[in-house]
Amino acid sequence: MRHAALRYFTSRLITTALVILGAMILLFALTLLVRGDPASVLLGPQATPEVIADFQRRMGLDRPVYERLGLFLWNMVQGDLGRDVVSGRPVLDRVIEVLPYTLTLTFVSIGFAVLLGIPLGCYAATHPGSRGDQFLAIASVSVVAIPNFVIAIYLLLIFSIWLNWLPVLGTGPSGDWGDAALRLILPSLSLALSWIGYIARLMRSSLLEVLSEPYIRTSRAYGLSETKIVYKYALRNASIPTLAILGLGVGRLLGGAIFAEIIFARPGIGKLIYDAIGTRNYPVVQGSVLAVVVLFVLVNLAVDMAYGWIDPRIRAQSARAAAPA
Amino acid sequence: MAATLSRRSTLKLGAAAAGAAALGFPNIVRAARDRVVVRQDRDIQILDPAFRIGAAEGNVISACCQRLASFKTGSLHYAPDAAETIKQVSDTLIEFTLKPGQMFSDGYGEMTAEDIKFSFERFGIVQKDGKKSSYASDWGALKEVEITGKYSGKIHLKNAAPAIWRTAICDTSGNILSKKAGEALGEKITSQLVGSGPYRIAKWEPNRQLVLAANPDYKGPKPVFREVIVRPIQESKTAEIALRAREIDFTRFEDPVAGDTIAKEAGLKVVKMPGMRYLWIGLNVEKAPLDNLKVRQAIRLGVDVDEALTAAFGGKVERANAMLQSSLLGYWKDAPVRKRDVAGAKKLLAEAGLAGGFKTRLTVLNQAAYKTMAQVVQSNLAEIGVTVEIEALDGGSYWSVGKGDVGKNLDMSLQLFSAKMDPSFTSQWFVSEQVGVWNWQRWTNPEYDKLHVLAASTNDEAERGKAMIRMQQLMDDSAAFIWLTYDSAVFGAAAWVKPAILPNGTDWQFGLFGEA
Repeated sequence: MRHAALRYFTSRLITTALVILGAMILLFALTLLVRGDPASVLLGPQATPEVIADFQRRMGLDRPVYERLGLFLWNMVQGDLGRDVVSGRPVLDRVIEVLPYTLTLTFVSIGFAVLLGIPLGCYAATHPGSRGDQFLAIASVSVVAIPNFVIAIYLLLIFSIWLNWLPVLGTGPSGDWGDAALRLILPSLSLALSWIGYIARLMRSSLLEVLSEPYIRTSRAYGLSETKIVYKYALRNASIPTLAILGLGVGRLLGGAIFAEIIFARPGIGKLIYDAIGTRNYPVVQGSVLAVVVLFVLVNLAVDMAYGWIDPRIRAQSARAAAPA
Repeated sequence: MAATLSRRSTLKLGAAAAGAAALGFPNIVRAARDRVVVRQDRDIQILDPAFRIGAAEGNVISACCQRLASFKTGSLHYAPDAAETIKQVSDTLIEFTLKPGQMFSDGYGEMTAEDIKFSFERFGIVQKDGKKSSYASDWGALKEVEITGKYSGKIHLKNAAPAIWRTAICDTSGNILSKKAGEALGEKITSQLVGSGPYRIAKWEPNRQLVLAANPDYKGPKPVFREVIVRPIQESKTAEIALRAREIDFTRFEDPVAGDTIAKEAGLKVVKMPGMRYLWIGLNVEKAPLDNLKVRQAIRLGVDVDEALTAAFGGKVERANAMLQSSLLGYWKDAPVRKRDVAGAKKLLAEAGLAGGFKTRLTVLNQAAYKTMAQVVQSNLAEIGVTVEIEALDGGSYWSVGKGDVGKNLDMSLQLFSAKMDPSFTSQWFVSEQVGVWNWQRWTNPEYDKLHVLAASTNDEAERGKAMIRMQQLMDDSAAFIWLTYDSAVFGAAAWVKPAILPNGTDWQFGLFGEA
């Protein structure tokens, strides 16, 4: 059984590596297709054709595409993401510099979504058709439908201007964790709101489905309390679709945090990518997107692994599938 | 034990409060106002005058460095700064003597003429990595800096270059770096600024903030604020909210309409200046049917400039009728102000054999105001039978569409260029050798080229002004340019801040910021 689980884990790792390789090739291809020349960006309008040619030679831009792709992949595998063509700094340094801000924002947002979405979904599922359920249905759909940047602007106007409760921008002075936490509330809430609505709806429907399962009916027949049935037996199984969505959600937020980073003037990887695209700073675009891709697939790998932990049926099914015939 | 409030105790309390207010409270207020928080629309990237990206870096560099001469507060006039004396001896020679005892930060010693030579000549040198300064043309006329003594030197020019004062010596490209620091730091010179100006960099947290602290070794007048904190905020709307929440004290608004909200708010103020950036629609004279003068004239007559400006900027910007704005030498005050004439435009098209109209493309930066203007133009030209397809591109793509041979395929483009305090800086982009570089109209005129050289190499202001006007007339004759506006510079600030902004609107003198 343990051997089968290891095989399953190994096969997932290989899939993950292939996804990353595919993403790297796609990234390389995209930089070939997009208009704009990195030599002009770096060297400026004063550069002579000779200087541009020399730059292209040193950067390998004059080599055949397959050679450039090979070099690109080899460098990436070695952890060499290249150098920022504007500042000359290693791209890895730039990514590492901003990644913690995006990760914090992403996980706090997901935390908000889980902490609020799951209880609301549970409430709606255990009170189907009630006024509370109806209100939550309308509210959930509304926050899912409203674009996040609109929510962000309104949160700013309400909490920072009218009520003057929360600060507007940035991450605050370094070392002041309290201030940093305050400055995290609005951006993470603006990212989380639509996910709260989404998770609440998802949790409601999956919990309702689980609550109609025969084993729940049997539990009720045995006289177990409703709280125990819902929170001990039903919730665990009903959480699996939510967990799957959370894996995707983290990925979406890693890339989608950009609007919160721009509106709230926060450093982050989304903003780094956005700025780099604007200046055709390809090494930064490639390195940052690759970082997002790697994080995304790793989170999904972790989520896949977590299915088995939550639901023994999946663990057993995986083991059977991985076992030799 | 019950506390009673007699008339005497009330008076004592009142007097004490008044005394505290008179002595202590203002100090508290002043203490809170010993720093000013300024918003810039992007993060600082390189702190090297020669390789700066733009004004965001330039403003910080200029606050930390001195120049031989500097602009006076918010003015095109200048006065000696690091130089004790500086004078134009002849058309091609400028002599200077430095004030002794001006110290660079971080222990890099006293400023000498060696530092001047190092700081200016490096603009023309190709670096080890093949990089050459994008601002090399600022010092394009520089032949060499000759050191004649510890504090004295001569700036030899290849030719007369009147623009060199306002675009190099007094401007960001004229900032003086320490040669010793440059040699010791190597590549790190791009991130570790060693200057001798009113401020020094106390803390630089990329993507978050840059803190400038008053430089105790600075020999000039002490700056009013102990600290200037520069925060990168990309979004103009966020900057507006941050100003209203008092998290920043000064910002420029990209959208001039934003000033209306701020103007109504207590404790805040709006500062408006005529802009100097120029916005126009360029027509590619090499691309058919725009290669036909009558077609270009028809398009120019078909566009309602006032309507486009009202739609995009709420009518809050000045209309442009020629290249140079009114504060610059060579302003053409009699430039024709063309009104939309649909019948006239149709007649010109018919004369060009295009009575049935044609299809063309207008390439714009993907920003709301520009797209709005493009839509007005699209609608205007539809009435004369010209179908306009709008191509809105992000910055990276947009700024390459007119370059090289790719630029031959460009039809019309809506362009915005920044200006400096000298007209030759503005006129240089339209000479023949700029075709495929920044001259996206691909318009060439030998007389224009000759006049540009003349204006850039004579110190006779009257002659320069005359040449500039003639150059604008030639541009007008070509009908390759539909001038729109000089933009406007609108700033929001806390009421107690007295900003120091140079007339181009983009260069801010942090060292001269004061209390209103």
